[in-house]
Amino acid sequence: MSGVIVGGWEFVWAAYGITAAAFILYGLSLMSRLREAGRND
Amino acid sequence: MRKAQIFIALGVLLLLAGSSIGLFVAPAETFMGDVQRIMYVHVPTAWNWMLAVLFSLVCAIAFLFRNDFKWDARLEAGLEVGTLLAFLLCCQGAIWAKPTWGVWWDWDPRLTTTAVLLFAFLGILALRSFVEDPVKRAIWSSVATIIASIDLPIVYMSVKWWNSLHQQQSTPSTVSSQFHLPLRMNAFGVLFLMIGFIMVRTRIAALRAERELAAPPVAMSGEAGELV
Amino acid sequence: MLAAALRKELLLQWRTRGQFIAVFVFGAAALLLFSFAIGPNAAALRTFSAGFLWLGLLLSSTLTLAESFHAEMENRALEGLLLLPSDPHALYYAKAIANWLQLAILGVALVPVMVVLYDAGTTRLLTLLLVIVLGTAGLSAPGTLYAAMTAQVKAKQTLLPLLLFPLIVPVLLASVKATSMAILGDPMGDSQRWMLLLLAFDLIYWSLCGMLYARVVED
Repeated sequence: MSGVIVGGWEFVWAAYGITAAAFILYGLSLMSRLREAGRND
Repeated sequence: MRKAQIFIALGVLLLLAGSSIGLFVAPAETFMGDVQRIMYVHVPTAWNWMLAVLFSLVCAIAFLFRNDFKWDARLEAGLEVGTLLAFLLCCQGAIWAKPTWGVWWDWDPRLTTTAVLLFAFLGILALRSFVEDPVKRAIWSSVATIIASIDLPIVYMSVKWWNSLHQQQSTPSTVSSQFHLPLRMNAFGVLFLMIGFIMVRTRIAALRAERELAAPPVAMSGEAGELV
Repeated sequence: MLAAALRKELLLQWRTRGQFIAVFVFGAAALLLFSFAIGPNAAALRTFSAGFLWLGLLLSSTLTLAESFHAEMENRALEGLLLLPSDPHALYYAKAIANWLQLAILGVALVPVMVVLYDAGTTRLLTLLLVIVLGTAGLSAPGTLYAAMTAQVKAKQTLLPLLLFPLIVPVLLASVKATSMAILGDPMGDSQRWMLLLLAFDLIYWSLCGMLYARVVED
C-alpha cells in the first residue's frame, strides 16, 4: 500500500498555513475581546 | 496578562523554530516523502488537544464540587481552545489524508473521535450562549463536559471496531529518532501557546462574569419597593 | 418513590398516546424519505436498512424526548416537583424509563416498516428486539438529562439534538451494526461485542446521568 509519495509540498504548505492562520486569527480575536471586556468596566 | 504574553511569545518562537527545522532541515521520510512533514504540526496539535479536553474535564468537575466561578471561567476557555484545536486537527488530518490515501477522510478512529468531540464541544458552547442564568450555565456546561469527556474513549473504541474490517491503513504516530527534535519543539510550542490562550480567555470570561453579576437585574426596582 | 413517579409518567404517556402515533408517523415518513434518497436499488436498501432504521429512530427520539418535559414546563411543575420531599433521582429514572419504553415501542413499530420498504426481513427477531431494547436505553438516559436541561432554554429544539447526537455515536454504531447482522447475517459472530458495548454504554450513562440530574434541575 505505501510507496514513495513524490512532492506534495502544496499539502504541506496548506497544513502549516491553516495552522498558522488559525492561531493568529484566534490570538487576534482574543486581543480584541480582552480589550472590549476590559473597556466596559 | 504578563505571564500569558510570555507563554504566547515563547510558544510562537518554538513553533517558528521547530517548524523551520521540520520543513527545511529534517530529511524527507522514506515512504511518505515530504508529505510526512505535516506530522510536525499534526502530532503536537493532537497531544495538546487531548490536554485541552482533560483540562476542561478537570475544570468541570472542580466547578461542580467547589461552586467557584473561577472554574467556570477556566472551563469556558478550555472548551473554546479545545474546539479550536479539534477543528485544526480535522483540517490537518484531511490535508494529510488526501495525498496519502487519496481521500479527504478515511475514518481513522483517532480523527473521527476528534470530529465527534468537536461537535460535542460546539454543542456545549452553543448551550452556553443560549443560557442567561450564570449559575445554570455553569452547572449545565460542567455536566455536559463531563458527559462528553467520558464518551471520548467509548467513541474511540466503537469507531475502531466499526472500522476494523474495512481498512488496514493506519496513521503513523511513531516517528523515528532523527525526527524527534522538530516534533518536541512544536509540541512545546503549541503547549505554551495554548496555555497563554487559555489564560487570556479565562480572563475574558471572568471579566464578563463580573459584569454580569454586578449589573442590577432589570425588574428589581418595583419589587424592592414592595418588599419595603 | 420510584414506583409512584414511574406510575405517574406512564399514566402521562398513556394520556398523550396520540402524540406517540404522530411520532411513529414521523419515523415512518423518515424511513420512506431515506428510500427515495437511495432510489430503487433493492440491494443497497437492504444493505443499509439497519442504518435507516436507527437514523429514523434517532430523529424521532428528539421529538419524544423534548415532549417528555413538556408537562413540567407548561405548569412550571418542575419546580413544584422539587419542593416535594422526593428524591430527584427517582424523578429522573422514572422519566428515563418512560422514555425508554416509548422509544423501544417506537423501534419495534418501525421494524415492519423497515421490512416492507427495504426488503429487510429476518427471523432473528429476539436478537432484533434485544438490540432495540439496549439501543433505545442508550438514547434515553442522556436524552432525558439533556431534555430536562434544554426544556428550560429558548432554543430547545435545536439544542437537544445538537447536544445529544455527538454523544450517542457509539450507540448508533453499535445498534446499526448489531441490527445489520441480525438482518444480513453474522458470519464472524461479531454481534456479541456490539451488544456488550451497548450494555456498557447503558450501564455507564444510566448511572452517570442519574447522578448528575439533581444538579441540572436544582434552583
